[in-house]
Amino acid sequence: MASRFLLLVLFVFSTSAFSQSKEEMAAKDFFWGANDNYHDANEIPSEWENESAVVIYKNENYDFHKFGKNVTYTTSVRKRIKLLDKAAVEEFSEFSFTKRFRSSKGRYTWKKRGNTFVGVKIVKPDGSVTEINVDEEAVEVDGETKIAIPNLEVGDIIDYYSYRKEPFKSTYAFGFDPVETSLNEEYPIMDFKLFFETENDFFINFKSFNGAPDLKELPTDKNNMRRYELTETNIPKRDFTRWFYPLVELPSYKFQVYFARSGKFEDRALAFLPEKEDIIKTSVSDEEVLDLYDSRFKPDGDVGDVKSFFKGKSFKNDAEKVISGYYYMRHYYLTRYIEAAYARDANISSYPFEVYKNNVVFIQNQKQFIRHFTEFLKRQDIDYSIVVGKKRYDGTIDELLIERNIEVMVKVHTATPLYAQFFGVHTNINEFSPLMEGTDVFLLSSEKNKRKIDQIERAKLPTSSFEQNETKKDVTVTFDDDFSGLSLTAVNYFKGHQKSDEQYDRLLFSDYVFEDYKRYETESWIEQVWGKKNREKFTREMKALIEKLKNKQKEYFENSAKSEYGIESFEDYTYEINENGRYSLDSYFTFTETITAKDVLIKKAGPNYIMEIGKLIGGQIDLEEKERKRSENIYLPHPRSFNYTITLNIPEGYSVSGLDNLNKNVDNETGAFISSANIEGNQLIVTTSKRYKSYFEPVQNWSKMITFLDEAKQFTNEKILLKKN
Amino acid sequence: MIKYSLVLLSFFFISEVALCQKRIEPTTQDLTLAKNLKEQYPDDDVALVTSKDDVTFGLNKREGKVTVTHIVEENMINIDSRADIQVYSFYDGESSVESFEIRYRNQKLAGFTFNDEAYTSDDLFHNDTRVTYANVDFPLKGYRYLTKLEKVYKDVKYFTKLYFNSQYPTAKKTIRVEVPDWLDLELREINFEGFDIQKQVATNKKGDGKIYTFKLNDIPAMYDEEATPGPTYIYPHILVLPKSYSVNGEVVNIFKDTQDLYDWYRSLVTSLENDNSAFKDKVRELTENATSDEEKIKNIYYWVQDNIRYIAFEDGIAGFKPDEASNVFNKRYGDCKGMANLTKQMLVEAGFDARLTWIGTKRIAYDYSTPNLSVDNHMICTLFKDGKTIFLDGTEKFNAFGEYADRIQGKQVLIENGDDYILEFVPSVEADFNKEQFNYNLSFSEEAIVGKADKVFNGESRSGLLYYFNNLKNDKKDEFLEYYLNKGNSNIKVSNIATSDLLNRDDNINIAYDIKVENAVSSFDDQIYIDLDFEKQLSNFNFKERFTDYIFSSKKDLEATTRLEIPQGYHISHLPENISVSSDNFDMDVQFSKDNNTIIYKKRFQIKNAKIETSDFEKWNNFIDQLNNLYNEQIILTKD
Repeated sequence: MASRFLLLVLFVFSTSAFSQSKEEMAAKDFFWGANDNYHDANEIPSEWENESAVVIYKNENYDFHKFGKNVTYTTSVRKRIKLLDKAAVEEFSEFSFTKRFRSSKGRYTWKKRGNTFVGVKIVKPDGSVTEINVDEEAVEVDGETKIAIPNLEVGDIIDYYSYRKEPFKSTYAFGFDPVETSLNEEYPIMDFKLFFETENDFFINFKSFNGAPDLKELPTDKNNMRRYELTETNIPKRDFTRWFYPLVELPSYKFQVYFARSGKFEDRALAFLPEKEDIIKTSVSDEEVLDLYDSRFKPDGDVGDVKSFFKGKSFKNDAEKVISGYYYMRHYYLTRYIEAAYARDANISSYPFEVYKNNVVFIQNQKQFIRHFTEFLKRQDIDYSIVVGKKRYDGTIDELLIERNIEVMVKVHTATPLYAQFFGVHTNINEFSPLMEGTDVFLLSSEKNKRKIDQIERAKLPTSSFEQNETKKDVTVTFDDDFSGLSLTAVNYFKGHQKSDEQYDRLLFSDYVFEDYKRYETESWIEQVWGKKNREKFTREMKALIEKLKNKQKEYFENSAKSEYGIESFEDYTYEINENGRYSLDSYFTFTETITAKDVLIKKAGPNYIMEIGKLIGGQIDLEEKERKRSENIYLPHPRSFNYTITLNIPEGYSVSGLDNLNKNVDNETGAFISSANIEGNQLIVTTSKRYKSYFEPVQNWSKMITFLDEAKQFTNEKILLKKN
Repeated sequence: MIKYSLVLLSFFFISEVALCQKRIEPTTQDLTLAKNLKEQYPDDDVALVTSKDDVTFGLNKREGKVTVTHIVEENMINIDSRADIQVYSFYDGESSVESFEIRYRNQKLAGFTFNDEAYTSDDLFHNDTRVTYANVDFPLKGYRYLTKLEKVYKDVKYFTKLYFNSQYPTAKKTIRVEVPDWLDLELREINFEGFDIQKQVATNKKGDGKIYTFKLNDIPAMYDEEATPGPTYIYPHILVLPKSYSVNGEVVNIFKDTQDLYDWYRSLVTSLENDNSAFKDKVRELTENATSDEEKIKNIYYWVQDNIRYIAFEDGIAGFKPDEASNVFNKRYGDCKGMANLTKQMLVEAGFDARLTWIGTKRIAYDYSTPNLSVDNHMICTLFKDGKTIFLDGTEKFNAFGEYADRIQGKQVLIENGDDYILEFVPSVEADFNKEQFNYNLSFSEEAIVGKADKVFNGESRSGLLYYFNNLKNDKKDEFLEYYLNKGNSNIKVSNIATSDLLNRDDNINIAYDIKVENAVSSFDDQIYIDLDFEKQLSNFNFKERFTDYIFSSKKDLEATTRLEIPQGYHISHLPENISVSSDNFDMDVQFSKDNNTIIYKKRFQIKNAKIETSDFEKWNNFIDQLNNLYNEQIILTKD
């Protein structure tokens, strides 16, 4: 009995060992077998000899196969790279990968494991080839396999592949992660080939952009199997460029593959699928958008809470009602739970959400928000449409291909339309990503009060101006009598799109949740905790947590003020929030900082002092020589302005020289830097305004941008003389 | 109804348990203690009320090894409003964590989960060190946890030191070491001076061993500062020197003296095969056209520097035993031991007398008078040639033959010599060996200062630059030089850069270029104000809030001379005052002078021993203050 068992184990063991090596051999043969046309490709063009490395051949493969519910997803990549300097040798001298892994796709199964096979060979300048014995050279620690590549030198070619086979089971439709990338990468590429292999039940959306070649179908032996390729040669390397969207300018491709089993499962797919598996989908029509969303965005949700909140309240108009409802929901479905979330993360309570019993409505994504918010609008009998759009960094709505790129929000048809987006804790009504402002979108709507969405039209979203998106600072500086130190007070204001980053950075949950409880007469988490003893304990621990976080925050703010004003150390620093600006996009978020510091901004000049007043506007963009020559269009985040007022209390017995240097005026269609200086009584008042006027500038306008960027930079170098009378 | 209340009950019950587990709130005394400790250690979040190390020894007769059991018990207290820390222990192939517990102050186990992970380090490609850790939160000030760690070392050789300081400040520290009579082990007291360490020696209960107890109170946390000396210089600690043990009346040496340490190292080295056939051809190629022995040696040494990448596998004995030279050659990578061994074997192949050499770098305070594995951390190669001793370190890229990196200068080396060994010292150089000479010849051009700059780098100031430059991507090299020369300051424009050969490590580096400095001159009324120093070296080297010596990467010697021709029609109305200071560790001097219509501004900064000691700080900080005042002071020209 025992020996039979042993035999069985041995047998199983040997087959699995055998099958693995067979797969491994197949992977190797796939790249380096008899059909490898790049086996002897060792030469690089002379114009690339001064690069760090040149990719002679890059081959990427995506294979999708299935047997019933069993899917085998194989992705592999091979690169053959000539290494031309030490940096490149260093870059390719170590690899790490996961040999065996469990698929995270589809249904959970403990049996099936995925494998990664890696092969590396090195071609010396004399043409001799050595294949690295990966198993022998590798070390595996905690599931991660690392390999140090032996005998790799400048002038060598490294030819490697990684072949990843991932089996999984899926009963329902399943979307693979979309791929959106430009052809260019860190090193120039001589030859690039991308292959796709699929069978029935796999649906492909694929499109090339900006001059990248199209995907072409290749003949295959089997009629249910399809093979496609995309090839390109001589792809230059990609450089990092400021204000640039690679997917909009560089040759790129995007794709997504869906697995949807025949017939009834197909319509469960949640994406824009081609009609049949043998069609590669390259565009999405208005009708398809309507088809996909008509039922998905039907109003749905329990808005009883809003109803109770509205009880006894009266509103001047629908707009007021919608605004009030939006902020109420932001609290009721989000900020009301923040305290409990902190209690859990800080281990103060293991089950903080139990106080809400089963009444937790937590809106988790854009789509849920749309259903819930439109239910509210429907109940209030307020007309709306659903906005379906895309962020501008990956192309226009006409280039829509991948459902996951869709952004949705609600346009409320009040006298002046209101836009409502899925909220974060500080999101305002009418606030939506500046990356969508001014873009073309779809508006989906239904005839009033009908549940089904049946109309689609095109529209353009509104834009915002540099005046609306503002960072404003009022800085007052007073020097000590002997100029050894200064005290500085800065009141900081942010509105429009300049605001939310600051709010997320600077507001701790305790800065707004308690205010929200009060505003909406809801109970805090602590108040809902059962038992006096627990409440007291949690209160103490929560207080300790807030104190700790506040101290950490202050340290962080102090450091950020140091870098902003270029001051290495402060004698004293205070920080206070004045207004949190959470209830309308055009209200300011405001905080005040006070700083005292020694030996800063002042240079001794005999009996006089030179003050580096320009530094008070903080660091400005300092263009490098190579940035000045630009060939790409300019993609800016959004129009915005930085308006500073600097008030210097002129020390007694001194007068100010050099005001001329502080008067600047560059103003063109792309932006501006305008400053002025005046003496009023015993104060010098300097105002500066830096403006970015657009979302986009064609490259021809780069020189215009440079003029105002340089002028702002130059301002930081300007000084005044405090002259002893 | 019954069902409902049952559900409710069990729900409450569970949550009560969950709460009970945690709710051991601080007592008033603990709160007071926490407040007092915070006053004493304002920068720390957690302190140790007590910390006890208990060390005992055992004998593994089968393997002939003395084992060590090290128990550490810590009573931790939160002295801030709240604290979230990791409680951890490292271990490796020679040690194991036998148990690790965290309890509440009432001795009940706190339910923290321990994780176990491989320790990863940027310096080591692979090592066998692992870490066991738990994330621990202290919800309130005065909150306490009691931790107990039991760690076992398979071989006393690897148990080298016991420190008093830890990551947290400690109110009461006790180190108790029980040494059985069968074990001859010295507990050497290092850096005890100036600390009130109470030591007691007593006989153990059974009467077959001695118990050494060391007590120290009010110990600050280990310093979290940059560029500190190695910990063996600054903290009091006990060096564990196991000499021998007796079994069945027989004495077995461990590391009784340096010879034993050498014998062990040698046993690892003699097991190498040293089959040099893999690189015979390479050695021939490197030497056949050389016209002198020195050239042959250089060719080999530089080839190793340039072609062997530093990749370290620190796994068990590989941490001590060099890899075969042929392996290192074939793989083109290795650690210091591998590079030393390859250098040696290639030189031997070429007919020279080369030896493996053990050394502790500057970070280690000890020399070979203490036979212990923590004496050294590095391996190089020694060459005996015509009565001279020359050291070769393959890990020092772009190091010239006969020059030594600061980290090994002056350090004792243990050189292999058959059954015997040789002790020597690596020679030291003076600061001027590393001299950096900067010359600026400048004049006015409208609102800017323009002219020519010339920089010379000697010694270690050059090897660092060469290494950095040669490891850049080809297409980034030009940009880098510009950036290096203008320090990223766009007011400084650099052009027409001419350099000496940046692949040649034997000669000084020479860089000449044209310079234009904008915004360094301000004109107000009839006066011109000039900020002549655009490099302002050392301006932020203020040590006012520092506790430990500052260690530079090498000895420094900077001589910078700036000559500025003043425009016609102007005269100099103000020059800053000259300043200078001198001490054992530094000579600093800044001078302004006039020569006809030229201002001459000279700086000479010498950091003679590559360090500023805490005892220098007052003098040093004072000078840095003066220097910053000078940097901030404008030269004034007035219209005639």
